[in-house]
Amino acid sequence: MADKLEQQSWAEIARGDADIWREFISREIPQLYGMFMRRWPNPSLAEELVQKTVFDAVRGCGSYDPSRGSPDEWIFGIARNNIRLEMRRRASRPSVDGDISRYLEAIDSEPLPDEVLEQKETAVVVRRALSRLESKEQVVLKTKYVEGLSARDIAQRIGITEKAVHSLLYRARISLRRQLKRMAPLDKQGQKL
Amino acid sequence: MKRKDKNLEKNISRLVKLTGDSNEPSEAFSKSLINDALSELAKSGKGRQRERRHKFTKIRWPRILAYAASILIVCGIVIALTMPPQKLGELGRSAEKMALKQGVYREEIAGKPVAVLEPPKPPVSRLEKAKVAKFTYGSKLVAGSRITNAMAAEAPSTPSKSRFSGEKARRLGSCGKPEPGPGGYPMAHGGTTPPNGEAFDGVFFKNYGVNPFVDTEDDHLSTFATDVDTGSYTIVRRFLHDGHLPPEKAVRVEEFVNYFKYDYPTPQEDVFRVYAEAAPWKFGTGRKNSYLLRLGLKAMQISEENRKPAVLTFVIDVSGSMNRENRLGLVKKALRMLVEKLREDDRIGIAVYGSRGRKVMGHRRLDEKDEILATIESLHAGGSTYAEEGIRIGYEMAESAYRKGYINRVILCSDGVANVGRTGADAILEVISKKAEKGVTLSAIGFGMGNYNDVLMERLGDKGNGHYTYIDTIVEAKRIFEDNLTGTLQVVARDVKVQVDFNPAVVRSYRLIGYENRDVPDEKFRDDKYDGGEVGAGHSVTALYELKLWPGKAGTAATTYVRYKDADTRAVTEFKSSIATDGFMPLAEKEIDTGFESASSFDFRLATVAAEFAEVLRKSYWAKGAKLSDTLRRAQTLLHERPGDADIIEFVDLISKASQLMKKTDVELSRTEDNANER
Repeated sequence: MADKLEQQSWAEIARGDADIWREFISREIPQLYGMFMRRWPNPSLAEELVQKTVFDAVRGCGSYDPSRGSPDEWIFGIARNNIRLEMRRRASRPSVDGDISRYLEAIDSEPLPDEVLEQKETAVVVRRALSRLESKEQVVLKTKYVEGLSARDIAQRIGITEKAVHSLLYRARISLRRQLKRMAPLDKQGQKL
Repeated sequence: MKRKDKNLEKNISRLVKLTGDSNEPSEAFSKSLINDALSELAKSGKGRQRERRHKFTKIRWPRILAYAASILIVCGIVIALTMPPQKLGELGRSAEKMALKQGVYREEIAGKPVAVLEPPKPPVSRLEKAKVAKFTYGSKLVAGSRITNAMAAEAPSTPSKSRFSGEKARRLGSCGKPEPGPGGYPMAHGGTTPPNGEAFDGVFFKNYGVNPFVDTEDDHLSTFATDVDTGSYTIVRRFLHDGHLPPEKAVRVEEFVNYFKYDYPTPQEDVFRVYAEAAPWKFGTGRKNSYLLRLGLKAMQISEENRKPAVLTFVIDVSGSMNRENRLGLVKKALRMLVEKLREDDRIGIAVYGSRGRKVMGHRRLDEKDEILATIESLHAGGSTYAEEGIRIGYEMAESAYRKGYINRVILCSDGVANVGRTGADAILEVISKKAEKGVTLSAIGFGMGNYNDVLMERLGDKGNGHYTYIDTIVEAKRIFEDNLTGTLQVVARDVKVQVDFNPAVVRSYRLIGYENRDVPDEKFRDDKYDGGEVGAGHSVTALYELKLWPGKAGTAATTYVRYKDADTRAVTEFKSSIATDGFMPLAEKEIDTGFESASSFDFRLATVAAEFAEVLRKSYWAKGAKLSDTLRRAQTLLHERPGDADIIEFVDLISKASQLMKKTDVELSRTEDNANER
């Protein structure tokens, strides 16, 4: 594929050459992301696993041995190991039952379990809740979290100050929480500190 | 407050991300990750260079290296002269590679302090993989047994550092990989690792380890406090019905065994009687000549009319979380059931806590049943969880309504006390055990699952000299409040402790199955200040020991001592009974199974199957090789003998559910391995 990554530069991976690494990981990130998403369709989890894998690779780059295979195979080995660790982590943990509303109800007090995010209905509920927000709020949430832009970039794009972006984001989060709670069928006061 | 905001932001971030359609990482994410990774690379690169320079300036080894090199060259020439030319070519190539790699090699050493994490594995063959897997399994076992030893040295109810570290060690063991320490991975945008690095289990259980085999010559005494709780079984039932395997630490074997009713004859004159039975048996594979000993302790029965009148103070959690799954609804149903079953001379008072604790109803006699039922009906949930205040108010009420000669009990109904107030759990526990001495006891009844705190509820019941149950369904509520109300309310013996003295001439080693968190140091058995277990009227306690006997020896295998305080007078009683082994016959491994079936009673087999189920679920080392398919077959045989027994029908159903779930997990694991290999 990329010429730079022909066999002779494999050794550069182990040596930690910055240019080769940039080339290498920018090619691998989407692949790894896809691999994790196929396993668990949860973008946040996939991002985290990609990140963990890349950092494992960077920190262990000295142990990459070109004579034993390509760097691609090597980094996928690390990724598989991370999948196994994640599976083990999950196995030792109770997972959610069908009702997601009670998790959404408590989103400001407890971190959401991954399993909730991997249920189809969760995305449906969130889409519906998002669509009920003011358009400005929708835009800011999507650019921030889906596109992953920084507050400064968002400020530039929609032509307001960075500070205004922060307060808009703050308000948008609160409204989204309110919408989500309204859509949860149970009573909405549940908060456990 | 800060934490709350963080949680909200993170959750919103993760939720909104779900609405993106693309199956690719966002550009911003990739960009920032690349930058982070490269700066990390530069950092570790600097570390490597510094290290390398260090080596070269400080250690003047070039001469030694030169010597080594010349020796290598000489060797090379000798080999070259004695080898066929084809192989020689190969050798030349690898020597070239070696020379190239010299730099790499040095980096590898230098890089180590930076690369704290498990070195990434280059593609390995299947065989090597298997070795790796085996190794992690081994290290897990080591960690597990270390906890048990640490536990044995400690008093059972004080939380301590070493227990915590034991747990941590176990976690490390089971992962086979250290968790990222401080300064580990930077946070992903809305990543799943919480700030403190803890996995965010909403449900709290504690791992107390597994009792090991003990050589009788080293320690011939085994001492434990009785436990009549059944919470663990009902919690596991809940997990399995929801389609999940329970976490190992939620499984307490003794609570599985004690869930079932055994047909011990009720003592007529004494408070207790001990029953013993033994038969050849083994859990899992690879053991010969092992026996199972069942000890049953049966308490006297008290009829409903003879039960002491009760002053009950309910402290009910009405925080917002009690709305989930209609937990409060279940509490109300259970209470209504209880009210119908109580007598006119009993009294009930109710306190609740949400954001604040408050008294809802002062104590009323049961002849005002309608008012009581109306109050129960009026309870509703909302607010946070200020349990400390609720419990305090409950105790104040109970004390002012205290009546001598009555059963005075506070009954806490909660999904676990997440926020106990400013003073923390230890302060509450201390208050509770002081009040228990004065005669106001506490029972903890658990409801709900999402954020259930098993550890605290169990300790509350234990310290309060009451007991702890978990109610998952209305059927379970019926079992506790209707079928067995007298046993639930009226304690016949306090601080019950059991000591089994094994005869080293007959018994080579023994293992107490379960009761890990009820361990009592041998020398504390006759210390009457040392807390034991409480046993209600008609309750029975069953303990199983696995034994290895010296071949061909007969005689007294063990003597059982039971020590307890009278529930009213506090007078201490101790009695003993011996267990002989004339009937034991050494058996070959394959005979054990059939030998057990024919040599043991129905109850014994039921207790054994319950223990085996729990041992497999908690992945006990001592039951390795045991298969749930065998457990299921044994349970089905039991059902065949007693068709229509509701408890056993359910038990069979649970075992088959668990066995399917285990198969599923195995298949998934191996599928990932296969996928991994295909790539």
